This record gives sequence, structure tokens and C-alpha cells, in this order.
Amino acid sequence: MNSFVLEGGATVWRADRLERPATPVWPTGWPALDAELPGGGWPAEGLTELLCECPGALEARLLMPGLAGCGTPVALVGPPQPPHPPGWWSGGLAPARLVWVQADAVRERLWAAEQLVRGRAAAVLLWLDAAPPGALRRLQVLAAGAGRPVFLCRPWSAAGASSPAPLRLRLASGSGWSLQVDVLKRRGPPLLRSLTLPSVPGGLAAVLSPRQQRLGQALPDGLLHPVEAMPLPLPMALPEQPAANEVHHALGRLAPAA
Amino acid sequence: MLWAAWLPPPDARPQPWPQALTHWALSFTPRVTCQGDAVLMEVQASLRLFGGWPALRARVEVQGRELGLAPPAWAPQALAALALARAGLPGTPDAGPADIDPLPLTVLDAAVPHAALLAQTGCHTLGDLRRRPRGALARRFGAALLEALDQAHGLRPSVHAWVTVPDRFEARLELPWRVEQAEALVDGARRLLLPLQGWLTARQAGVRACRLRWLHDGLRPRDAGPGGELLWRTATPTRDIDHLQRLLSEHLAQVTLQAPVGELVLEAVEVQPLQPQAADWWADPARAEAEALQPVLERLAARLGPQRVLRPVLCQDHRPEAMVRWCPTTEVTEVPEAVELAQATAPAAQRSRPRRLAPAVGSQPAVGPQPGFLRPQPLRLAVRGHRPHYQGELQLLVGPQRVEGGWWDGEARAAAADPPPLSRDYWVAHSPRAGLLWVFCTRPVAQQQEPAWYLHGHFA
Repeated sequence: MNSFVLEGGATVWRADRLERPATPVWPTGWPALDAELPGGGWPAEGLTELLCECPGALEARLLMPGLAGCGTPVALVGPPQPPHPPGWWSGGLAPARLVWVQADAVRERLWAAEQLVRGRAAAVLLWLDAAPPGALRRLQVLAAGAGRPVFLCRPWSAAGASSPAPLRLRLASGSGWSLQVDVLKRRGPPLLRSLTLPSVPGGLAAVLSPRQQRLGQALPDGLLHPVEAMPLPLPMALPEQPAANEVHHALGRLAPAA
Repeated sequence: MLWAAWLPPPDARPQPWPQALTHWALSFTPRVTCQGDAVLMEVQASLRLFGGWPALRARVEVQGRELGLAPPAWAPQALAALALARAGLPGTPDAGPADIDPLPLTVLDAAVPHAALLAQTGCHTLGDLRRRPRGALARRFGAALLEALDQAHGLRPSVHAWVTVPDRFEARLELPWRVEQAEALVDGARRLLLPLQGWLTARQAGVRACRLRWLHDGLRPRDAGPGGELLWRTATPTRDIDHLQRLLSEHLAQVTLQAPVGELVLEAVEVQPLQPQAADWWADPARAEAEALQPVLERLAARLGPQRVLRPVLCQDHRPEAMVRWCPTTEVTEVPEAVELAQATAPAAQRSRPRRLAPAVGSQPAVGPQPGFLRPQPLRLAVRGHRPHYQGELQLLVGPQRVEGGWWDGEARAAAADPPPLSRDYWVAHSPRAGLLWVFCTRPVAQQQEPAWYLHGHFA
């Protein structure tokens, strides 16, 4: 019995602790998130499911630091809107590493993702609304040997459905400039609190005034204070009259600095 | 020295014998020769490349089976290998007198004319022949017999005329049965691709475009033409026939045959010099990764269509919709440059000084905030009380960033029936439900007009 415990110690995973996967993981770029994920990063051998209220809004913000750090190409399969590489570049992901696969039908998306996963040459971001569970299981089995992270982006409504993905996260925009991440499923004890990751979307950090950045954090409701928001140009106020406020200066400041 | 020898199989496939076989054998070694109707290759120098004799033999036998060949006979001398092949024995790399001696006289070309006479003297095997007095043998049967015997035992050197490759590759195959489904042509094409691989190896080249022609059976309906053809391409020159075959099967899946097919012709259309990647420790992993991705993308493009598997090419333009041109991956072939790779591994450093790195790659990150996703067409927003609405009232955060211009491609825009030059003020706006948006308002033409608001991008 003793020998069994000793031998099995490395490979037996106790469900009340975080799993320590033998396979490599890819750092997410968020230390707070790394601490709560098995192995401390995105699993390179398995499917990761990201649930988002409206597709395309938050996934890229969450994934960007991790993807920017690794040198691998990134394939976007069926994104909800055409991607705009300059925006991704400001997050650190060079355009030469992006590939956009336009696949509309669910079957085409799954097939394209499967081919990319089999090719073991790119991190895959796959957007799906509804997927047959068999197809997801198939993708998970393939991803288990991929050596590259595979992200499956689905709407919130998929949270209730069962999924073969070993890691499932639900994303929401938190108060101010932050991401709120709920870990729905992981190989470890359930995480009851949600994680708050401070993040300003790509390229905005440079142009937001310090006050706007601070205010965003202070307000609990996720909205910026109305006073801080820009006054709208009146119909008569043609652009010859510059909108008098500090944000304008912030943008003006950027041009010589960049 | 290590030789492998094949005899023509009884049904004389692969056709045309021995050209298809010699081409295929060239993928293992440049030293291939024909002796009579047999094909021999010398592989001593290739053993290390293929991981030793057992690995090489397994490879040769597996691929040979696809061509319809029996396993070859192996021996350290050409004539010994040929003799073993004729006797139907597999041989070994160190086959010696013990292996050759029991063979009958008819396996040696030089002994065949004298076999009957020798048999009458009680000499039936090569071993018997070897034990006869050499002087008497030479006097009675000529020096050629002794020379062939010595060459088979490796006592004398032998001279060979090595096969040379033609400038063009065109291989023809008569299918063993009539094929009615286009997908089933892949099996036949595989038999033509194997010789192509050897031909490319011998020429140190890779292929960028191949053409497969199929000829309909003679008993075809009157309205079916004589045949059809399919041209398929790869973005980079390749020698990987597995990849070529996968691409071909994707293309053939979209083909309907007019009539049963009896014959296939494969032709290499575009051939370019190719320096294969060295399989050593010092290979650049990022480059290898980019090269590994390309075949996958080509497979995707073959099924989905080249216009749907895209890579971005940045353009020097400040208008958001013109900043990026999406090109089919089959056309954009360059591997990311070292500068971009360096910046990929050190994103923080790159962000702090984009301008200094940028000219080297011919592009630069745009100034100001840029959204992660851009709508193909700007969406006109509802305006209530002078405020734009999109899933709730928008709050403008940052702006305005004025974007004007576009008159320089006026003709193209006029053809597309778009309003010509832009005049837009971009704002970053926050919508309570849709997150951060990139909206713009057009400058009103008349004084009393309301500015029109459009939604153009979503910040990720």
C-alpha cells in the first residue's frame, strides 16, 4: 500500500488540489489567473472554453498577453467580425502571426479547427455558437495531443451545457477597466470567487487620461461617470471649434510620443 | 557498398518499366542503374541520412508496396544482389560466398550461355563454378565468365552507367481497373507521385504546380470528352508528396468524372530549386513552425477556397479600412522576418519603441487606439437627443481623431459606388451592454444637418 502511494504520488491527482499537469502550459500573462489555473497557465494539451456575453468583446483582451508572449502563429477561425490587425498589434501580436479563416458553417469551422490542431503549428481561436457535443469531444481528444493551446469561444448560454473541455472560464467586463473571470470548471477545487484582472483594451492605455483610468477603477457599476464622459459636439459645433477638454490633449500628446 | 535489386514484376507494373522505378529509386540515392530489365541502386552513402539499413529497408518496402513491387534483394555487390533477386532471396548487407554459392548458374548473366554445358560437367551452382580451376575455366568459357563471378564476390570492381534524369517530368499510369469516382483517382496518382519525389530529389528541386490528366476509357459515352485535367499549386516549392496528395484529394473531391477513367498522366508544371531544411539541432524553431503551418493552410484553402484563408498585409494608410489588405495565404508566402520574431518574443520592449523597429518590416503600428475587430461596413447608429445609441446610450471617451482623405483611390471608390473621400471624426465610445466601440461621426454638409453617427469597430 505504501509503495502504491509513493509511486502514484506524482501521477495521482487529488481532486481537492489543483492538478499539476505533466504537459507544458503557456503562461496567460495574468499572474492572478496563472495562480488559479492547473499548472499555472493555459493548457497546451487540451481545449479551453471561454464563455463571453457577446462574442468577440472580451476574449482577445484576455488572451492577448499570453499570445503576445509566445512566438507561435495564431489562427482565428470564424471570428464574429473581421479582425483588425493593427488593434492586435497594439496588444503585442504582430500581424505576420495572424491567420484569418473565414468559415461560416459550424461543420466547416470544426473541420478547419481540426486541421489546424492536427497541424500542431498554431494556437487556435475558434468561435462557435452551437456545437454538437460529439464534435467538441473530438476536438478535445485532438487538442490533447496538439502541444498548442486551443481556445473555444462560445456565448454565455453555453454555460449550462456539458462540455468536454477541462478548463472553462466565463468572462464579463468588471468595474471600470477590468475583466471579471469566473472559473466554471478546472481540474481542482471549485473556485467560488471571481477573479478581477485590471486591463485596458489595446492601445487605449496611452490615450486615456490618468483621471479616466482612475475613475474607471473607482466606479463599481462598470460605467464611467457621466461627468467624465465627453460632452457631445452639438450639431452646430463644427470641428473648427475644438472640443475643450483634457482628452483631446491626451490624443494630441500621443502623436509626438509615438 | 550496399546494393538493392528489383526484377520486373510479372504484370510489369509500375509502368512504364523501368522508368517509374528508377525515378522513384532516385529519392534514396543518386546512384541508380539498369541492368537488362532489372533496376539496381547503391545506397551505402544514404544509410546515415535514412537512419540505418533497417529503417531504410522498411521505407523502401513500404513505398515499394504502394508501387506494386516485391521487396528488393540486398547484397554488398551489384551482381550478387541481382543474383539473389533472381533466386527470390532477400539477401543481407553482408551477404557473402555462403549466400551466393548455393544459387543456380542461371542467375548470373555471363553463365547463362554456358549453363547447359557446365551442368553436363557436374557444375550446377555458383559454388561449384567458384571451386573449378580458374585457368581451365578461362580457357574454355572465356574471361567474361570469371570476371562476372569475381564481380559478384567483390574481388573485382564493376562499372555502371548511372541513370540520368530528364528535364521534364511526365509519368503515365494505366489503371488496373476503370475508376468512376474522382476521389478514387488519388490511389493511382499516389503511384505517380512516388516517382515524382525521386525525380525532384535527383534534381534538387521542389514543385509548385502539378497537373494531373485523366483519360477516359475507350467505351465512354459519346458526349464525354477524351478526358479532363486538374492543376493544383502549393505556395512554396515542396517535395513532400504526402502534402501534394492531400491537396489533390481535396481538389478531386470537387470533381465529377464524365466517364470511367482508364489512364492517368502526371506532369510537373512549375519546378523550382529547393534547398531542404537541414534536419539538425540548430534548425530555427520559429521558422520550422511557420513552415509547418503552411501545408495546413493550403489544405484549408483547397477545401474552403483560397479567398477564405487569409493573412494580413499592412499597408501604409491611415484609413482604418485601408490599413490592412487580406491576402490568400497561398499568395503570401514570406516567413515572418527576424525582426518581427524578435518583437514577438519581446512584446513589451517593442511596444515602447515601435518606430525604431517598424521601418525594418515596412510597416508600423497605427497611431492612436485601434479596435480589434472592424465591421465590414460601418453601421449607421440611431441618434436620440443628439446622442448616438447602440444597445444603450453611448458615452464618448476619447476623441476626436480625425481621419480624412482617400481621394487618391477615387476611381476605385467611384466604381464601388462609395462616397468618395472620407471625412470622419473617430471616437472611442462605451456602450453599457456592447462594451467599448469605435464610432465615428461624419461632418455635416449643411449647418442645420445632424452629424451622422456610425459604428465601425469593436475593441476586444
